[in-house]
Amino acid sequence: MAVLDFDYMLGLIPILLGYLPLTLELAGIGMVLALILACLLAVVRVLAIPVINHFAIVFISFFRGTPLLVQLFLFYYGLPQLFSSLTVIGGVTATILGLTLHFSSYMAESIRAAIIGVDRSQTEAALSIGMTNGQLMRRIVLPQATRVALPTLMNYFIDIIKATSLAFTLGVTELMGATQKEAAGSFLYFEAFIVAAVIYWIVVELLSKLQHYLEARLNKAYSR
Amino acid sequence: MKTLLINTLLMVSLFTTTPLLAQDDPLRVGMSGQYFPFTFVEQDELKGFDVDIMNALAKEMGREVKYETANFSGLFGMLGAGRIDTVANQITITEERKKAYIFSEPYVYDGAQVVVKKGNNEIQGVEDLKGKTVAVNLGSNFEDLLQELPYADQIDIKTYESNLERDTALGRVDAFVMDRVSASQIIKEKPLPLKLAGPTFSSITNAYPFKDTEKGRALRDEVNQALATLRDRGTLKDISEKWFGTDITRP
Repeated sequence: MAVLDFDYMLGLIPILLGYLPLTLELAGIGMVLALILACLLAVVRVLAIPVINHFAIVFISFFRGTPLLVQLFLFYYGLPQLFSSLTVIGGVTATILGLTLHFSSYMAESIRAAIIGVDRSQTEAALSIGMTNGQLMRRIVLPQATRVALPTLMNYFIDIIKATSLAFTLGVTELMGATQKEAAGSFLYFEAFIVAAVIYWIVVELLSKLQHYLEARLNKAYSR
Repeated sequence: MKTLLINTLLMVSLFTTTPLLAQDDPLRVGMSGQYFPFTFVEQDELKGFDVDIMNALAKEMGREVKYETANFSGLFGMLGAGRIDTVANQITITEERKKAYIFSEPYVYDGAQVVVKKGNNEIQGVEDLKGKTVAVNLGSNFEDLLQELPYADQIDIKTYESNLERDTALGRVDAFVMDRVSASQIIKEKPLPLKLAGPTFSSITNAYPFKDTEKGRALRDEVNQALATLRDRGTLKDISEKWFGTDITRP
């Protein structure tokens, strides 16, 4: 077995860390947009709002039913073939678009499950005192659903961070892209990818800490 | 999401048909950045044979170059979508690709190459492999190439997973067959007593692909002109010597 080149690994850390902000930007923006879209989709589904409900069902079915890489290729390579002016969708935008649509379809289903999980009697009580659908959602259902949905939503966020590693196929040099290129230049594949793996791992660990903190806060009302 | 769509639609209206590449437009070149020693990254810097050649071409053409790196699988998609003007990644001219793209003149001539131990003057080319033991890499198409020779039944072909160059240097086999560029690279990089034996036999030519549009054709002509100039001036040869110790830019 060959010996690992630790000097190379140490030298690589600052270089690869330079690409972490872009990775976090893709994931962060993707997560926020996906969350907003997922909430809308979930509410539409739960309330079974006519017409839009059918749109939501097809949307979720498509974006959950096809691989993210296929969707990214569709946005980035496919659309400009139909409309040449769509090359204005750059690699970063296409990645965020793909992450948003793909993960919103998953998140919509977990949010919907969390909403359904709120006891039906509470909905009936709220409606009986004259709350509108909007008030019911905002004041009664969503705050409770948030607590239930949080762990799975954090799971998706972690998944989004790792999914940004697909962006290099669209020419976006983020953490994974930078690692692949450095590895190709040095032939030290194990060293390069282990550094990248540890960086991803540490980021995800920090997020897990944030998750525990948020969970503890949301559970305050329930603890005795 | 909504703003994104609106922005997109607004921008669409701004970008109508693209005319010819203006003289001060940069040349957008796609490469994988993952094909040593043609295109790779060291300490965050893009380097390699293809980078050097393209820089020289752009200088000759009086254009700036903008490199777009993406996985190899994405490069032709980017070219087709008009996100890049050409690909500099040792693209081999094939019939399939010729249907979809137009190519510049080749700038790398590669082919199957016989390699022998230094001092072996008995084997001067593929014709001399009769009655010899020849190593090829498993999964490469060089075994097929050897099998197609009229005297194939007189060649003892051995397939290797790896280290065929070492066994050739040790004399366990008489020769090995590989593409010339990789073979030259091995001879240059590894401290093994090996040498190329004779010319290549089954040629591979690599060039720059362009879209078959007015703009693509104009750019190809511009690149061809610059290639011819650099070839005459010896620049292509110099860059090749620097990376491979031999001139791979000529047949």
